[in-house]
Amino acid sequence: MSDELKRTRSRILPRDKGAAPLDVMIAVMAFLATLALGASLLADRQAESWRAGLADRITVQILTPEHETPALTLESETQGALNILRGTDGIVAVTPMSQQDATKLVEPWLGADAMVKDLPLPQLIDATIQPGVRIDIPALTAKIKAAAPDSNVDDHTHWISRLQNLANTVIWSAYAILALIAIATAATVSFATRAGLDAHHDIVELLHSMGARSGFIARAFEWHYFISTLAASAVGAGLATVGFLAAGGLEFAGVEPVPFLPPLSLHSSELAWLVAVPLVSGLIAWATARLSVLAALREIY
Amino acid sequence: MVRFENVGMRYGPGPEVLRDVTFQLEPGSFTFLTGPSGAGKSTLLKLMYLAEPPSRGLISLFGEDLATTKRSAFPALRRRIGVVFQDFRLLAHLSAFDNVALPLRLAGGKQDNYARDVEELLGWVGLGDRLNAVPPTLSGGEQQRVAIARAVVARPDLLLADEPTGNVDPDIGQRLIRLFGELNRLGTTVLIATHDRGLIERNRARELRLVDGRLVELRTQRA
Repeated sequence: MSDELKRTRSRILPRDKGAAPLDVMIAVMAFLATLALGASLLADRQAESWRAGLADRITVQILTPEHETPALTLESETQGALNILRGTDGIVAVTPMSQQDATKLVEPWLGADAMVKDLPLPQLIDATIQPGVRIDIPALTAKIKAAAPDSNVDDHTHWISRLQNLANTVIWSAYAILALIAIATAATVSFATRAGLDAHHDIVELLHSMGARSGFIARAFEWHYFISTLAASAVGAGLATVGFLAAGGLEFAGVEPVPFLPPLSLHSSELAWLVAVPLVSGLIAWATARLSVLAALREIY
Repeated sequence: MVRFENVGMRYGPGPEVLRDVTFQLEPGSFTFLTGPSGAGKSTLLKLMYLAEPPSRGLISLFGEDLATTKRSAFPALRRRIGVVFQDFRLLAHLSAFDNVALPLRLAGGKQDNYARDVEELLGWVGLGDRLNAVPPTLSGGEQQRVAIARAVVARPDLLLADEPTGNVDPDIGQRLIRLFGELNRLGTTVLIATHDRGLIERNRARELRLVDGRLVELRTQRA
């Protein structure tokens, strides 16, 4: 009696037993890579928001004159600066900060005692520049200085530049971590492929002696390591993504974010980038396995 | 088909296993290779199925001088050779069907096209009811029959068999030799390495004998 044939095409390589440590290592590396990628995306977004928040703004600070005269008071200097700002093309809004708001600004540091109200707080003026319009800041500063000798004009370039540097450092650090993890993944898979070749040496030798092309044998290994790395790194990346989603959930639920740190929740478009981690890990494994197998086969007659 | 001229073979710095071996296999010929254990029969077969390069001498296969043939052409030459290994070398995780189909798969065949041929061949060697059995569940004789079916399934131009009837009873052994004979009549050149004098006497073909690494011809033609 004939046996009914199972119609599925079998794998040339058997499933590895004892590959769990490799899978765990790849999952952990994918977890770290996803955290690093998420951190770089957050830093990039934060740097952009800092830039957008300050780039089109000018702040004029006028100190109380040391020796007030009837012609030179804080009020007269403020009015002079306001007139110049309002008369400058490209400035669309000019808002002097009230003394109440100024007191609130220093409240976290100095408190709200009556004594604070007696302090000679500077007058701040916030001016908004029309987006895309360039203003000659040195010329504007000179004009304001003439009308208000105790003023300082700050267009925030120094501050933005320092924030930008900080964000760039975070982004490039994350990229460096990603590169290190990619190298570690490649080295691990290369080692595992070599071990796999040794473990399956009899199969490789048999296929080789039966006339299998190197590409055929390499494909069996490539596929094997691509799938196992894809699965393991999907688990690691998935766990890291859950971490980002949980952080976003906490912020949404009203839990205060850590002071001076950007929010840890990723937008959906940024979350999509995280899918790249298992895919790239799988491709690294694929390429490493292929190169390792072809190199090993070149040593056989 | 196969030509050896003054071929010598040694493994590493050891003594020569084969010395000045010179012979020729004509296309469509049927030859027995005999000799005591350790005489070099398996090494000679390894040189013929391109598992090892010779230490010296000239080997020509299918009209190609191996010394000048590009390595990239070797897989195509190997696919024209069917080998029955003494230790079977079946893939333990593949079914009998998949083991037998392996040469066809390596040649780029589709399962739908070769499934019937493989099933028929397994039926012919008495394993029609073990298509899905994996080698560890088969007896030694059954594994040997799977190994033979794998060697002949692609109708190779050259069939090399190392003790192909060593683990089967005489009836099955004779049936397998008939299979080789059938293949030989269809044009395949057959070389069988064996200790089995009875098998050689029953099938009076050309006999080459290896003694201490040297080849002597005992019988030159079919009776």
